[in-house]
Amino acid sequence: MSKNLLLVLTIVAGLVVSVVLVRAIDSRPNPAQKQFADESLYVDAATAKHLALAFNGLAADWYWMRSLQYVGGKIVAFEDTHNESFALSDLDLHLLPSLLRLSTELDPQFIAPYEYGALVLSELNSDAAIALVNSGITSNPGAWRLYQHLGYIYWKRNDYENASATYAAGAKLPGAPEWMAAMGARMKAEGGSRAAAREVYRHLYESSNDRAVREMVEKQLMRIDSLDQRDEIRDLLSAYKTRNGRCAASWRDVANDLRAAQLRLDPRSGAPLDPSSTPYELIKNGCDVGLNINTGVPFK
Amino acid sequence: MSPSPTDATQQNLHTPAHAGEISKNSFGLGVRRTLAIARNAFREAVRDRVLYNLVLFVLLLTGGAIFLGELSGGQETKIIIDLGLSAMLLFGVFIAIFVGVGLVYKEIERRTLYAILTKPIGRGQFLVGKFLGLCLTLAVNVAVMGIGVSLALIFIRRGWDPLAVRIWPAILLIYFELTIMTGVALLFSTFSSPALSALLTFFVFLIGHFSSDLKGLANTSPSSAARVLFRALYYLLPNLTTYSVITPAAHGLVPDAQALVLATAYAVVYNIVLLALATLVFSGRNFK
Repeated sequence: MSKNLLLVLTIVAGLVVSVVLVRAIDSRPNPAQKQFADESLYVDAATAKHLALAFNGLAADWYWMRSLQYVGGKIVAFEDTHNESFALSDLDLHLLPSLLRLSTELDPQFIAPYEYGALVLSELNSDAAIALVNSGITSNPGAWRLYQHLGYIYWKRNDYENASATYAAGAKLPGAPEWMAAMGARMKAEGGSRAAAREVYRHLYESSNDRAVREMVEKQLMRIDSLDQRDEIRDLLSAYKTRNGRCAASWRDVANDLRAAQLRLDPRSGAPLDPSSTPYELIKNGCDVGLNINTGVPFK
Repeated sequence: MSPSPTDATQQNLHTPAHAGEISKNSFGLGVRRTLAIARNAFREAVRDRVLYNLVLFVLLLTGGAIFLGELSGGQETKIIIDLGLSAMLLFGVFIAIFVGVGLVYKEIERRTLYAILTKPIGRGQFLVGKFLGLCLTLAVNVAVMGIGVSLALIFIRRGWDPLAVRIWPAILLIYFELTIMTGVALLFSTFSSPALSALLTFFVFLIGHFSSDLKGLANTSPSSAARVLFRALYYLLPNLTTYSVITPAAHGLVPDAQALVLATAYAVVYNIVLLALATLVFSGRNFK
């Protein structure tokens, strides 16, 4: 009995000590780990497919989750060291194309990495994103959503001609919704308009099951709403300047106008609130409006 | 004290009492004897705790996939199917190899084989019985693991998910792949040690999944001798890529009926060949 008790105590004590040791190891700076964290992938897609035997789907899942963790890790690391908001292009995500490519080569029917590539990779390298989504279309010729994503990338590049052609091609596929054809026409007529942008993002939001993608699209919709609001506020500030011969010294000066425009106001400062409920800032000596550095609305 | 599986086998083998009956109904009797060995091989395998541990591990992995799926950006179902069916295949192969290589070896080592072979039972019947016993064990294991994956899918959807049914053709094909691995393990165990048999069987599993490369080498090799060699290997070694449908299953794709029938027929024929080969080798062995 006492022997067993001693063994149990040894196990518990050993586990406690090992936890303490792991925490000590984690707290030490590890330059080697940092150096190799972003090392290039040595396994190309074709080799990975061979090595995966019958488990290529599982390997694709692994690389997919690694892609998400890779981007998430970079965002967290950036936020830990910077106070300002950021765009994806501010992050060093050079491994992302390889990770997504590996995932889709291992499982060409896996749509989520193509979608992620279209929305995230296109911010960094739109050529790589187009190549990725095109490979998806080759492997899944009936997937109209991939045409939607490819159209989105062209639209982001201001290539409205190709965006229009891609939406129109996708609209011809069985099961494609009617709005795909409408988007094709709209891209051609008013590809650069804010209304078209809102339409693009709204459909992306509705068609995606990916939480991360939906959050990203939500932010872009907030950005468009914010652009509309800033135009409206700018008009009010301009009218105030015309009336008074000077720009507004504070938001209180235009409080009535802001209320009349039915903008949400910060009860303390009277500043109008952006879609993330962060007060806007008066810039250029009160002649213009800008986003607060802590806003949840993306700057670009 | 309960009788050992081997004792039970011997009791069953005594059932066909006299020679008159044997000559009248020798085929039926042969089948009954084979089934008696199969039943006891199943009982022996079921008593092995390692088996339960492996099945439990697969079920835990499937359960773990539910949590892992949360990191997958909305791809929970795919992760559960990929992880669940891959674990089923991998651990099924482990069961087929480690139980399969011991089926004959244990009987030789315990010297119970001598007692069995003194009864009116052929060496081929003995091997077929052992093979069927392990196939039955694998069928039960695969069914339990498959139910685990289906339940995980229903749990994650908080309701009925058609994928819970649509994955079963893929599970059936995994099962057929495992029966081939059992046959291969049994063949090696008739002439080599368990460790070597396990290693060789695992190599066959690996090569079986590279069969499309063998075909590619046969088509592209510049030397005609090499082409013949690779083509021969392609046709002689088990073509296990036929049974690799886990990835399509995760997308809800079901193999068509013709593919299922052909894969089933291939497994049956290949197992017959393996058992015939094993019987040939086993019959030539001298146990004196």
